[in-house]
Amino acid sequence: MNNTISLTLLHLAFCFTLVSFTPISALELHGTGANMVETTCQKTPFYNLCVSALKSDPRSSGADVAGLAQIGTDKLKAKATATLRQITALLKVAKDPKLKMALRDCADYYNAIVKYDIPVAVEAVTKGDPKFGVEGATDAANEAYACGRGFKNQPKFPIYASNKVVHDLSAVVASIVQLLL
Amino acid sequence: MADINPLLPVSSSDGSSNLTGQATCRRPIKVVVSIFFGLLTVGLFAALLIRNNGPVDYVDVHENERGSLASTAFEKAENLKPVSRGPAAGVSEKSNWAFGGDLPDYPWNNSMLSWQRTAFHFQPEKNWMNDPNGPLFYKGWYHFFYQYNPNAPVWGDIVWGHAVSKDLIHWLHLPLAMVADQWYDKNGVWTGSATILHDGKIVMLYTGSTTEGVQVQNLAYPADQNDPLLVHWVKYPRNPVLVPPPGIGPNDFRDPTTAWLTSEGKWRITIGSKINKTGIALVYDTKDFINYEMLDGLLHAVPGTGMWECVDFFPVSETENNGLETSINGHGIKHVVKASLDDDRHDYYAIGTYNDRNGTWIPDRPNIDVGIGLRYDYGIYYAAKTFYDQNKKRRVLWGWIGESDSEAADVKKGWASVQSIPRTILFDKKTGTHLLQWPVEEIDSLRLKSKEFNQVRIQAGSVVPLDIDSATQLDIIAEFKIDSDALDKATGSSDASFDCVTSGGAAERGALGPFGLLVLADERLSEQTPVYFYMTKGSDGNLKTFFCNDQSRSSKASDVDKHIYGSLVPVLRGENLSIRILVDHSIIESFGQGGRTVITSRVYPTKAIHGAAKVFLFNNATELNVTASLKTWQMNSAFIQPYPNL
Repeated sequence: MNNTISLTLLHLAFCFTLVSFTPISALELHGTGANMVETTCQKTPFYNLCVSALKSDPRSSGADVAGLAQIGTDKLKAKATATLRQITALLKVAKDPKLKMALRDCADYYNAIVKYDIPVAVEAVTKGDPKFGVEGATDAANEAYACGRGFKNQPKFPIYASNKVVHDLSAVVASIVQLLL
Repeated sequence: MADINPLLPVSSSDGSSNLTGQATCRRPIKVVVSIFFGLLTVGLFAALLIRNNGPVDYVDVHENERGSLASTAFEKAENLKPVSRGPAAGVSEKSNWAFGGDLPDYPWNNSMLSWQRTAFHFQPEKNWMNDPNGPLFYKGWYHFFYQYNPNAPVWGDIVWGHAVSKDLIHWLHLPLAMVADQWYDKNGVWTGSATILHDGKIVMLYTGSTTEGVQVQNLAYPADQNDPLLVHWVKYPRNPVLVPPPGIGPNDFRDPTTAWLTSEGKWRITIGSKINKTGIALVYDTKDFINYEMLDGLLHAVPGTGMWECVDFFPVSETENNGLETSINGHGIKHVVKASLDDDRHDYYAIGTYNDRNGTWIPDRPNIDVGIGLRYDYGIYYAAKTFYDQNKKRRVLWGWIGESDSEAADVKKGWASVQSIPRTILFDKKTGTHLLQWPVEEIDSLRLKSKEFNQVRIQAGSVVPLDIDSATQLDIIAEFKIDSDALDKATGSSDASFDCVTSGGAAERGALGPFGLLVLADERLSEQTPVYFYMTKGSDGNLKTFFCNDQSRSSKASDVDKHIYGSLVPVLRGENLSIRILVDHSIIESFGQGGRTVITSRVYPTKAIHGAAKVFLFNNATELNVTASLKTWQMNSAFIQPYPNL
């Protein structure tokens, strides 16, 4: 009897521990916060990236589409800034001239993304003229695309993963802002 | 970690031998409970593992409803795709570089970039511009205001730029007219319009984006009505005068129009908005531009068109060849409603009848209503606005021409956007369905050396070079005669689906087209921008004519727009086909059939620049010979510069 109870309690305790570590959405059957993120992300080209990016920000629960757009651009800004730092660091140690050239081009593109594209997107969403936000985010995706193409004939593309996230996230943000039109 | 193996027998060795009998009864329940929790545990554990499979899943593919973005596999850099700017539903100007996707990105050098700047189109000295604002004529000067970013060649930090001209062509830059210095326009001094009152005084209504990001309407007026240059402006101290009404979103209320008088002697304005996806125009009456009453009804609404930006409303005469002051109404008058559709970045208009008593308007042809029918311009052209020029009794149209190159190039060259050459706008009496746009006559003052070509025969499938000198600043007026026999003989096709936009451009040969001009073309035709007609004959024998502008081979650069623009153009019996083209470096404005169909495009050649740019006649039809007569003029610069000694 004692063993049964203690075994049961142990199992229950373990289950609850797991529950608390599992993201709520895996268990939640209802709830508008998670659904807004999911329904919005369904309208973007990279659903899983969209959901994980938005949900990693606590503001996403209870946010409307404009709020999600702002969260998306914040994430994009962080990722693009980090990637630019990565590029700058790589440039310092790169020896191969072709690699250096591709990295320098990418630095130019990422400067454009961080200095122009993302601020335009942020401003457009916060100030209420979303069409410029769609443009800004699309521009960012295209800059990331151009950066990637510079490595087409390179054996190594050291920032491949970060660049892809920036590209895909830009496309996601563009789609979300589009919903505000 | 707790025991998660539900299948191990539960030990009852510690002092429970006396419970053996009871244990036998309980064992099944114990096992069931253990198994249940064990499975639950396993299930949750599995869920936890799956959930935490990295912060990002790259492999998922999701084609959204626009279908414009492709999936990518994880491995290769090439599998990133360029992203369509703007909605895939319409033709985006700056979109899809897929045409040039396999070419290396073009290294723009200073020579190519500096060539792009226009010589006689309005543009500020640097940075970003968008919508035309508050155009008017006052005390001998034409005034032009515009959305401007003083800090960067991209949209943002918007304030009102200002320039004046005696002739709508030679502009002089003045200081910024209005900046974002009040809570009610801190987040943007946006688009607005001027009204000239009975006593000649000017009032300006414009949209401000407040510190909370809400769109409101504000009143402003010249600080000194005696200053012909209208340099300084004052904002009404108790702005805003209008805030979004109930049921209208805080971001769906902008771009007030010029006011017109009602039969009751009140001033009336309209402001574009939307309800869900229906584009609408709200109506307000006022006596003093400070207090307003909103009419119960809307001026007009069209479902599915989305937000109506930069609404314009004005009368046109069905009989006279002059423009009409905005308040005119009566017999022989039609009214035009125009809207810039946020959803597809195009300007649409419709002609109809205005009812002054209840402030409503109905289109003559509901099947080509606002937003679903005719466009001012089938190229890159947006946020257009007209004003009545009381100086020359004409209605003049301004339109914002954005860039269709990469934003990185805009940053490099330090500027973005131009305005179209102002156009007169008239009702087309001959068709009764279209408006006619034509560059203002003052542009003729820029004409320098001219050359005439008469009756040049262009055989089917041929290209004829035109021997003119420089070809980057040109005015061309051309007429094309076609063998009517060839038209009669041509077999009608049941394929009634030709459309400039979806066609193969000037390289797609049809029986009766394409034929026209190649501008900004180099000698080897490695770069060329065809402006042309394409005729089709239906199975019913009816001829249709299309007027197109093909950018697909306009540049070797891969990061510029390569779409084909254009539309149907009405051609009446007995009319020759005519084109007027203004070439001014990176902008081409083309007018078909006297301005019935207009196409503006931005072109960024890498080779066909400076002295290497040439003009050709071409005829790529298979069954038609064409005879062209044309006149070309070199165009002078307009020397747009700051107002001296201000």
